[in-house]
Order: sequence, then structure tokens, then C-alpha cells
Amino acid sequence: MSGGNSSKNKARSSKRQEGWEEAGGEFYQELYPGGEQELFENLQRADAAKLATLLPSKQARNTTTVKRGRSQNERRQSTFARNTQSRDIHLSMLPDLSENLSNEERSWEEIMQIKAMPVPMAQKRELKARLQNATKLRLQGFEQLQWRQRKVWHRFRTRLAEVLGKLELWQSPMRVIEGKFGTGVVCYFLFLRWLLFLNIAISMFIVLFLILPNTLLKENCEDCESLDYNSTLCCPERSGNVTSNNVVLDLIQGTGWMEGTLLFYGVYSDKIFEYSLPNLWGAEMVYNMPLAYILVPIAWALLSLVAIVKTGAKGFKERLVENEGQFYLYCNLVFGGWDFCVHNAKSAKIKHKALFNEIKGCLQEERYKEEKQSRTREGTILLHLRRVVINIFVLVILVVSGVVIYMTFNFSTSSLYEYTENLPTLRPNDSFADTLVSYKDDNTDNQIRSTLLQFLPYVCIVVLNLFVPEIFGYLITYESYKPRHVILITLLRTVLLRLASFVVLLSQVYMQTSGLLDSGDHAVRLECWETFVGQQFYKLILTDFAVQFIMTFFLNFPRAFLGRHSNSRCLKTIGTQNFYLPKHVLDIVYIQTIIWMGAFFCPFLPIIGTIFYFFLFYIKKFNCLINCTPSPIVYRASKSKSLFMSVLLVGFVMSIAPVAYSIAEMSPSLNCGPYKSYGTVWYFVITTFNLFPPVVREVVFLMGTSTFAVPAFAIALFFLYYYWAVATANRHMVAVLRNQLVLEGHDKQFLLNRLSAFIRQHQKRCERRNRASFADDDSSVRQGS
Amino acid sequence: MGQGKSQFSEEELQDYEDLTYFTKKEVLYAHQKFKALAPEKVGHNKNAKLPMAKILQYPELRVNPFRDRICKVFSSSNDGDCTFEDFLDMMSVFSDTAPKAVKAEHAFRIFDFDGDDMIGVSDLREVINRLCGPEHKLTDSEIQQLVQNVLEEADLDDDGALSFAEFEHIIDKSSDFCHSFRIRL
Repeated sequence: MSGGNSSKNKARSSKRQEGWEEAGGEFYQELYPGGEQELFENLQRADAAKLATLLPSKQARNTTTVKRGRSQNERRQSTFARNTQSRDIHLSMLPDLSENLSNEERSWEEIMQIKAMPVPMAQKRELKARLQNATKLRLQGFEQLQWRQRKVWHRFRTRLAEVLGKLELWQSPMRVIEGKFGTGVVCYFLFLRWLLFLNIAISMFIVLFLILPNTLLKENCEDCESLDYNSTLCCPERSGNVTSNNVVLDLIQGTGWMEGTLLFYGVYSDKIFEYSLPNLWGAEMVYNMPLAYILVPIAWALLSLVAIVKTGAKGFKERLVENEGQFYLYCNLVFGGWDFCVHNAKSAKIKHKALFNEIKGCLQEERYKEEKQSRTREGTILLHLRRVVINIFVLVILVVSGVVIYMTFNFSTSSLYEYTENLPTLRPNDSFADTLVSYKDDNTDNQIRSTLLQFLPYVCIVVLNLFVPEIFGYLITYESYKPRHVILITLLRTVLLRLASFVVLLSQVYMQTSGLLDSGDHAVRLECWETFVGQQFYKLILTDFAVQFIMTFFLNFPRAFLGRHSNSRCLKTIGTQNFYLPKHVLDIVYIQTIIWMGAFFCPFLPIIGTIFYFFLFYIKKFNCLINCTPSPIVYRASKSKSLFMSVLLVGFVMSIAPVAYSIAEMSPSLNCGPYKSYGTVWYFVITTFNLFPPVVREVVFLMGTSTFAVPAFAIALFFLYYYWAVATANRHMVAVLRNQLVLEGHDKQFLLNRLSAFIRQHQKRCERRNRASFADDDSSVRQGS
Repeated sequence: MGQGKSQFSEEELQDYEDLTYFTKKEVLYAHQKFKALAPEKVGHNKNAKLPMAKILQYPELRVNPFRDRICKVFSSSNDGDCTFEDFLDMMSVFSDTAPKAVKAEHAFRIFDFDGDDMIGVSDLREVINRLCGPEHKLTDSEIQQLVQNVLEEADLDDDGALSFAEFEHIIDKSSDFCHSFRIRL
């Protein structure tokens, strides 16, 4: 919590306290209008035990909810309106609002605030009419204008919200999902939609600054210097290889004619396009393609980072606030447990069950904690031993899957080599992948085989990603972690698996590209290693998408169908599937990771990704609504949101790092792409930077020197310390206030007890006196007679 | 939703727009939904009072464990029967745009079964029982434990019940409440 915020809160709370006091005073005055004597008599009549309910804080709670910045009058009126038992009487007692004249703007504001009041519509309407009819000051001149503006702005905002609400993508599917699965799962679909929009934004960058200029300006370029066409294209002789029967294979492999399209790095020009508009200004427009090619990835990387951090920060803040009140676990469960949006009877039943389980789980956890303390030493050692063994086992699985990927990759490349080795001649301009396809036995079988071989590593990765998490999920049941940690740990392991497979693949690609570049023999083959890398990612994303599609429609759907329509118990257990959120989150984060990693080498990837995400929504929706039954685990919306974002952030860092490395360290291909003549891509950036005006250069250099960096670092540290100190102080303050509140509560209890005792005593005394006076009367009467 | 054949005058709609968290179109849409519960009755009188059983036909309410409480809280006659205006009030509070404080206020009243302006032990027990549904029963000691935990967390003044201030305090810190206390129109 930042300092400013808390001080505001404090101010508000103090104001609220004042409000209470005020309201309390009023309350007593209203209830006992005759001053102290009457108060006393009232207290006499009051039931001592019920005194607590008369307390102002219990009675006048409405003063705390209805907008705080209101005048006393209104506050009293809303307090009255709250008392449901005798609403009608109170209504007639409503204070006359017109007594304090307000201006138009204020009364409008007040009308806008009526909606927050917990009274029925008829009363609201009456209030509104009252406010409207009350005599009020007309605003003059500038104020009038301002108020009008405010009103128009308000109206505009509501209209805009309405229109935007209508335009919102996938509104009705979300509602259906929400009704059946609750808010936690909807959060996942919102996340999917968020990723779709992110990719649309990235694609916009790429289309606007890379693809359009390259297509529009290149023709121009080739017209004027057609001799130099060699430099603009990576593989200019590609057309010779394309035959009609391998178009489809090329399409899914990204080879052949695909290589010559804008899909891949190699095609982008290293030219600085000059475009003159003699008609307009006679000026020359310059478009520096290589610069654009490096700036666009930087731009979208920053955009993604900002978007993730911004969205994540919101969730993080919520988490922090929640963590501060870790003690509210049970309250949340009880008061926020039910999703009011659930409207499906079956889901409601499952929701009941889920909540039941959650409550049981929480209570068990507490017992578990107690158990832990009372656990014997042998038991603890045994448990830890079991966990260590299982962790080692998990590690072994990870390593094994890495090795499997490595072997399949090696196998596929080496068998592909055999094809290429058989080639009698190699045209020097062909790229590696191109040669694979160009090897024509006039035999499609061979081509398909080579395609299969090429896809083998990716299929292997995807299959591993499908089955190993199941093993993890099975293993974790033996580790007896806390229920809350189970999801986290499984997720972590699965992320590790996915990353491991990525790392192996990347290192393989790296070894291949750099190895081939180094050894003189194959140097000719990989003309354009960036394109080759881009192809790998292209294939990976295609495979992943295909597997998602096949899994959903051809595996899970029949499973669900079987489970639903057969009576055998065995089939039913096979058939029923839960919508296991972490797994599905990983699926889409994985695709995003591929996109980030590959977008530099294959600029079309974000666009492909956008399309995939669009279809993926429907695939996942089908999977969710048709194949799955609601999960018996309660997914909390707020928690899952921040979880998604943190996983995505990990994915982002992991995917940007290798790309950054390749930009900074690896030498680009000599014969293709925008950076032919540079040692590294980054070197190009430096040379461009050197062309900047000296002032800019000076400034940037200054930033790098210690004279700037050290003070900046110190200031940053200082701020960090400051905020840390404020946060600690606030936390301390919260604890103090809490204690104070508790003490106040005790004080109140104490006073109430004393008061009721006093009243009882007083009542007794009165009775005695009455009896005495009665006796007196009696005696006097007797005397008189 | 044709504006032409709507049963409301422009002023009424304006009133509703000002007094709820809905726009005019949403008000009309809400009325359609309301009408769908009892087409004939509402067709005659747009503000007809529908008995609670009819209101509970509304899909979200039908499965809600607190359905009767919701109706009672929003009913202007306090017996659970709702007119369209009551229904509109209800939907307005449950809408996305309603602020947390308003939702908290109504949630408090919904959870306050005995109407003593405090959520006491008996209220909490009732809430827990309803949450778990008719088929799953927690044992008495479990409920006892849970109630005790809740009170430990939230009952700051140790009087064995949650006052509204305490309840609001919980809701302020719960980020899930706003997500879950919501019915889309």
C-alpha cells in the first residue's frame, strides 16, 4: 500500500468516525427527544440485554454506506429510510430537503447518488422528485457551462459504455460458460481473449511497419534496380523447386515457395527505401527497412511487457491486500463462496459439492497443521524422504524427456541428412530446407516421409507435454502437500517440462545452425539460418494447434460421448473429464511463448497466432462446455488471474532471452535478410546509432557512464527504501488500529455490562420505592378510614 | 427490444436510468426478462406484483442457495413478492457497474437471516448450511469450528456477531466478492 493511499484512507476513516459520532448523537436525540430525564426513563423500560442493539454503530450503519460526503440532513434521512420495519412512517418524517438551498449541480449530483441507497424504487422516485422540485439556485455563467459539460460527458460515457459493451467480443459464450463453470473458468477465457488482443496489437505493428512497406516499396525498388534483385531475396531460385504435388507439404513445413514469401526473415530487404513524392513537396521519404526490422520487435516486446506488468500489477495489488488479511480466508469462503451468476442446476449441485470440499479442505488443513506439530519424528523424516524421492523421480522424468527430444531431433536430422547426402549436386543458393524438398525422387512417399521426419521432434514434444503432466498429477498425490500448494507445484513442474523441451530444441537448432555455419562443408547449405529457425517455430505452432484440435474433437469428444451414454462404470471413469485449469492455461501460454520466440525470425507468426487464438477460443469452449464437467476444485477468480500473469511473465522472459542473445551475439546470414553485411544484428543498431546527431549520442553515452548511473541507482534505492519504510509503517499502523478496535470493543462490552447492571439495580430500587409509596398510600388510606 | 411498443414512457425510463445502474436499453431488456417470468400478468400491468415462486423461476435465482433471502431483501412489501421495480433494483445491485459498497450493503441484508442487523452465529450457520447444499452436510463440530474461525477473523469487537462495519471491512479486502456477487442481465 503506498503512502498516499493510506493517508487518504485514514482521513476517510476518521471522517467516518466523526460520522458515527454525529449520527449517534442524532440518534439518541431522535429516540429520546426529551433530554436526559427522558433518556433515563427510556432506559428503564429498555431491556437490559438488548442494549447492544441500540448502539449507534449497529443502528446507523447506513451512514457508513451511503456516500460519505453528504450533508447531515441527508444522512439522517437515509438512516431513517433504512429502518425497514416502519418505513412508511419514517418516510413522512423525512426532513425537508429544500430547507438548505442547493444549486443545480449539487442536486444533480445528489440525484445521481440516490441509486446507491438501499430503498425501494418508489421511495427513490419520491426522493428524486423532491430533489428536482426543490427550489434551487441556478448556476450562472461559467459554472453553468461547466455543469452542462459535466452532464454531457456523463451521458456520453454511459452511451460509450453501452456501445462498447455491445461490441465486446464473445459476450454470450462467456455468459454461458460463467453460468456453468463459475467465475474462475471465465477468467481463463478472458485471459485467452486478452492474449488475442495482445497478438492483434503485435500484428498491427508488424503489418504496418514491416509487411506493408516491404510489399509496397520493394516493387518500386526492383523496378529501378532490377539487377540487384539478388540482395532482396534469400532464395531467388526457389521457383524451380516447386512442383504441384508438394504445395501442401510446403505449406505445412514452411519450405519451398513459402520461404520466398514474407513469412520469413530472409525475404525482408536490407535496403533503405527511398520514395520521392515530387508532386507534393519534391521531398524524399526514406524508409530504413533494417532499422524498422529491429525496432518493431523491440516495440512489441516492450508493449507485451508493459501489458503484462500492468494487468499483472492489478492482480498483484489485490493479492497483497488479501495477503495482508490472510486471516480472511474463511470469511471469503463463506461470504464470497457462491457464484451468483451460476444458473445451471447441475453446475449448482457441483458448486455446492466444491464448496463443501473446500470448506472441509480448509478445516482439514488446520487440523493438518496441528497434526504436523504433533507428528512424530519418524513420520516427518518419512514424509520428507518420500518427497525427496518423488522430486528426484520428477527430475529424472524431465531429463529423460529432454533426452528423448534430443534423440528424436538427432534422428530426424540425421535421416534427413541421408537424403541430402544422396543429392548429386547442390546449388549453392538453396537453403538447407529447400534442398530437402528439392530432393525429388519423383516419389511423393519419400516427400511425405521427409515431412514426417521433419515433424517428428515437434510431435514428440507435444506428446510429452500431453502425457508427462498426467504422471506428475499422479505423483503429487503421494507427497501430501497442502491442497493449495498442489496446484502450484504441479504447475511449476509442467512449466519446467515445457521449458526443458524448449531448451533442448533451441540448443539443437543452435548447434545445427552454428555448427553448419562453421564447418565449411555445409556452410553453403544453410544460406539463411534465420529462416530455418523461423521454419522450426512455424512447424512447432502448427503442430501444437493441430494437436489441440485433434485432442479436443477426436479424442476427448468421443471420450465424453462414451462417458455420457454408456452405463458401464469403467467407461464412465474414462469418459468424465474435468476442466483442469492449469493445464489449459499452460496450453495458451505455450503458444504465446512460441510466438514471442519466433516472431523475430518469422514475422508472420503473431498474425498466425492471432488466427489460432481466435479458433482456439472455440476449441476450448467446445472442450469446456461439451467435453468437460465442472471441476470439483474451486478456482478463485482473483487468484487465477495473477497466476496466469505470472506464468505468462515467466514465459516472456524465457522466450525473449534467446532472441536477445541471437540478436546481440550471433552473426546473421550472409546472403539474406536485412542484416547481410553486419557482424551481428546489434552491430547494425550501433552503426545506426552513430549516425545520430552528436547531442543525442552524448546524452545516451552519459547515461551509460558512472556519473549518471551511480546517482540514479542511489536515488532508485532511496525511493525503494522510502516506500518500504512507508509500507512497514502502514502495516504497523494497521496492527495498532486493529488492536485499538479490539480494545474499544472490549471497553464497550464492559460499559454495556455495567450499564445494564446499573439499570437492573435502578429498576429494582424503583420497584422498591413504588412498593414503599404504595404501602404509604395504603397506610394513609387506612389512616384516613 | 422495440422502443415503439415499449410499455414505458420516456420519463419513466429516464427515472429508471437515473435511479439504477442501468441504461434505458438495459431497463427495457430487464423488463423483457421480467415479462418472460409471467407474460400474461406483466402484459396487463407492467409493474405487476409477482409472487416469490414466480420470481424464483429466474435461472440464476432458481439455483441460488439464498434465493428466498434475495427476494425478501428486495421486495418492497418485505414478503418476497416482487414488482418490476423491485426486480430492477435487484438486477441493478447485482450488475457489473454497481459499486462494492452497495453490493456489500445488500449482501449483509441477505445474510442477515433473523433481521437483527447483526450476522450472528445462527446466521452464519444458516449461510454455511445453504452453501453446502442439501446433499452435503458438515458435521456439527465442523460447522462450529468454521463459525468460530470466521468470527475469529472478522469479529473485531468480540461480541460474537458481525456488525455491518465489520462485514464491510471483510468485503473491502475480498477481491473475489465483486466477481461472485453478480448476475448478468
